[in-house]
Amino acid sequence: MTNPPTIKAMVQAVPRSLGSYGPVLLEIEAALQSPQCNLSTIGDAIQKDPDLTARLLRLANSPFFGFANRLSTVAEAVSLLGIQQIQDMIVASSVLDQFKGVPDSLVNKDSFWRHSLAVGIAARLLAMERRLPKPDKFFVAGLLHDVGRLVLLSQAAEWAQKVFECYQSEKILLREAEKKILGYDHQQIAAELLQSWSYPPVLVQAVAYHHTPNQSVSKLDAAVVHIADHLVNAMGIGSSGEQFVPPLDDKAWSLLGLETENLAKIVEAVDAQILAVEEAFLKK
Amino acid sequence: MIRVKSEALQPGMMVARDVKNIDGMLLAPQGCELSERQINILQAWGVTEVEVEAGAEMAKAHDPLAQLPPEMLAKLTADLRARFWKPDDFGPVPAEIFKLMLLRQAQQHLRPPA
Repeated sequence: MTNPPTIKAMVQAVPRSLGSYGPVLLEIEAALQSPQCNLSTIGDAIQKDPDLTARLLRLANSPFFGFANRLSTVAEAVSLLGIQQIQDMIVASSVLDQFKGVPDSLVNKDSFWRHSLAVGIAARLLAMERRLPKPDKFFVAGLLHDVGRLVLLSQAAEWAQKVFECYQSEKILLREAEKKILGYDHQQIAAELLQSWSYPPVLVQAVAYHHTPNQSVSKLDAAVVHIADHLVNAMGIGSSGEQFVPPLDDKAWSLLGLETENLAKIVEAVDAQILAVEEAFLKK
Repeated sequence: MIRVKSEALQPGMMVARDVKNIDGMLLAPQGCELSERQINILQAWGVTEVEVEAGAEMAKAHDPLAQLPPEMLAKLTADLRARFWKPDDFGPVPAEIFKLMLLRQAQQHLRPPA
């Protein structure tokens, strides 16, 4: 029997492209370099892509941001949401683009992204509740937390198949099956990928340790994604292949320092936001 | 004690826990009986829900689990349990989360999302 591919080999084989939003991102970057840059030049760059414009306004006016149908132009959206946040959102959705070709046989991609978006929403809400700086970073971390599974599916489909066979026959958690068959798990793959894409270290940590937050150097960041993942699995919104709600880490919970009473509000907000966020990111 | 949405508050309900605004200013103290005027003030401050003392009747009307037929409640509980990893080993926090999810299932069953 041959050996499983190394994480590095798989990650290096993932094509680096910004997908259909590449031109817009380059234009925003170019506009930011210019001394004459202002909100309307950024707005103009975005508006050249009508599809992106529609999605951005949809999201800006949804319960996710809570401006309640008051934003009608891209320039307004840019000024209220901030350029950094909009760039993050566009980059995040370009990652969705990147894995379009992955077959649905083992993991249904719509369900996968539904789960990922919901974890992003929950992680952002938990960060806001805990008053952590830049809660929107946690949306991106949540959105990408299981991206390692997509790397495996797209780069080593036969090994993904073996992992799922082991998962089903031995009735263990999917992550345990990954470790048994491959010697590593999807969080390690994601860490390598995001590192090679030069994502900020905090984000890499939050994704790389979302199942083992206590091993992270930024435990709190990883704990936020861990708890968001647990909640969304419990809510049963989409699935990244795992059929069970993975166990909750007690230490991560106490580190976050929230009361269980606060969760009802967060669960309700996730339900209220998921539809609009799905429309903005997934609708074809 | 039950949570009541601000728009569903009625005069005469008894506040079960201090209601404060975001700056910590007390809007309605624990134990006070809400008046029409106080309800208006809470709504004006953007309070979304208030914890009030429950009479037996009201508790039932606000508890989705009590409104479900017992066999449906048993089915929802069993379905939910089947999705959790080792539900017999639950500590206090996972047990609370499980209760919350069961409540959500019950609500969705009573009022299916549009």
